[in-house]
Amino acid sequence: MTVKVEKIEGGTPHDTIMWAGLLSALVCIYLGAGLNSMFNAYTFSFFGGLAAVAAIIWGSDTIKGLCSYGIGTGVPSVGMISLGSGVIAMLIATRFSWYLAPIVLVVVAVIIGAIIGYMANDVIMMKIPVMRRSMTEVAVIGGLMLMGFAQMTTGSYALLDLAATKMSILGLPIAAGFGGSFIGASIIAVAFILGAIAVQHPFNACLGPSWKQDRMLMLAAECGFLSMLPVAFMSVAYLSLPAVIVSVVVSAAGWLYTYNEYICLAKRDAAAWLDAKPIREPEGH
Amino acid sequence: MTVTPKPTGGVGMNPMANALSIILLIAIIGAAWILFGGYGLIFKALVAVILGGVLIGFGVHFVPVGGAPAAMGQAPGIATGVAMLAAGAGLAGLFGGAYAAQSNLGLVTSVVAGGIGGALMMAVTCLFVVLIYTYAMGIPSASGKVKVDPITGDTQAEYKSQGTEGHGLPFSSFAGGVIGGFLGGVGGTLIYYALLQVYEDKLPALLSAPTAQAIVPVAVSLAGVFAVGIFLVNAVLAAYNITGTTEGFHDPKFSRFPRAIIAALAASAACGLVAILVAAI
Repeated sequence: MTVKVEKIEGGTPHDTIMWAGLLSALVCIYLGAGLNSMFNAYTFSFFGGLAAVAAIIWGSDTIKGLCSYGIGTGVPSVGMISLGSGVIAMLIATRFSWYLAPIVLVVVAVIIGAIIGYMANDVIMMKIPVMRRSMTEVAVIGGLMLMGFAQMTTGSYALLDLAATKMSILGLPIAAGFGGSFIGASIIAVAFILGAIAVQHPFNACLGPSWKQDRMLMLAAECGFLSMLPVAFMSVAYLSLPAVIVSVVVSAAGWLYTYNEYICLAKRDAAAWLDAKPIREPEGH
Repeated sequence: MTVTPKPTGGVGMNPMANALSIILLIAIIGAAWILFGGYGLIFKALVAVILGGVLIGFGVHFVPVGGAPAAMGQAPGIATGVAMLAAGAGLAGLFGGAYAAQSNLGLVTSVVAGGIGGALMMAVTCLFVVLIYTYAMGIPSASGKVKVDPITGDTQAEYKSQGTEGHGLPFSSFAGGVIGGFLGGVGGTLIYYALLQVYEDKLPALLSAPTAQAIVPVAVSLAGVFAVGIFLVNAVLAAYNITGTTEGFHDPKFSRFPRAIIAALAASAACGLVAILVAAI
């Protein structure tokens, strides 16, 4: 069996992944919001989760680019700062109408991320070439992830819907108020940490001499779908029964597919090691 | 894979970047003054958020972070990353402070309760770190950066293994961890308390709530999640400043803290302004 030699650098260029991630996340958020209002249903809320998956795939590649320089603080710190700056941009965006909000999110996140990147690169003098750009990107990624998860949980990303919602168990309204809402019940904190862990884990798990981009991106998609599952279960409190079932089925199907693919890729890359022969004793001594 | 050297992050400062950061800070404070009518609730809240961010950025420099080398007994400190430790201490403090704020105990009690929460968390962590290092891993505590411990005066060099940068958790690092936890808890609670006042003031009209009491869960949760967000931003910036590992206040890296303070000033001003705008526009 021959070991396929692949370039460790290379794969899809980062610019392509960035634009693909940004556009597919925005398209998914708009599709979810548009189809929900067109059919006056919550069935299409799962598109928010798909937007989060797109953002996570983009984010893992950004984190790879930044952490290859050895920032010294560990990969998880980038995931934390991503959501820390993203949540601020996401919540101000919720004040705007449904078609403006994602654009406002991207613009505000770019501003906040650029300031943080400038602080990290120039004031703190990390002097990493991609630092400013990466900090800007991770802020947008964090915001898009949270907005996607918010949409998947409640079917909307307007502040009024997130802060005051008709509490319902499987479609039966039981109470209306502020306490049980996405923000009031602090479900936003769960979405926050689900996103932070999902975005930093793929590179943290795949880094090393045998790093391959397709394997890391597949793990990122797997982490995204796995994070969608708890979000889908949390949406039981807000969405109708068919919408919850659609969300759970989409997340579970996506997770099973990407997990299987990831295991195949991991076996492909592990073959180089399984094939290694034990060190032979030199003969004739 | 291109191998790049680890950034060392020298001691110097970048005057141009520092000046730009201060201009940005003044611009944001000025904008808040003009937009929200001078010295009012919102202006005070923004100043408190900035102050809290600076306390967090400063406090992180006290926390003895060892990272992976500490887990192998090759460097002193707690064997995890800065972001995790600072977040643990700060969030523990935030819970204590938020509980005091919810009981209407006032600003000073809440902030001190937050500080004690963070300090307590760090003290418990450091205690068990020392126990595990000493009795489970057989690692004595010795600093690699100083000859004598600045607090106890104990000599360090005899206990330090060759080829390591020290190991275990020396007393000064323990004390530094508690101070860092206190500062982080105070900073986090200050941010939380300031934002809570703004949201409790502005949200009832914004959400057209029947009573001001009805929006309290939303105000608490919003202030909490923003406090966590601003906390993480400042903690990670400070972590970048010390590039991974530090022993505490006696480490030479501690002298880099002015850079982190300038970064924390501008970053928390930007984040704080947006966080306040969520309810104020």
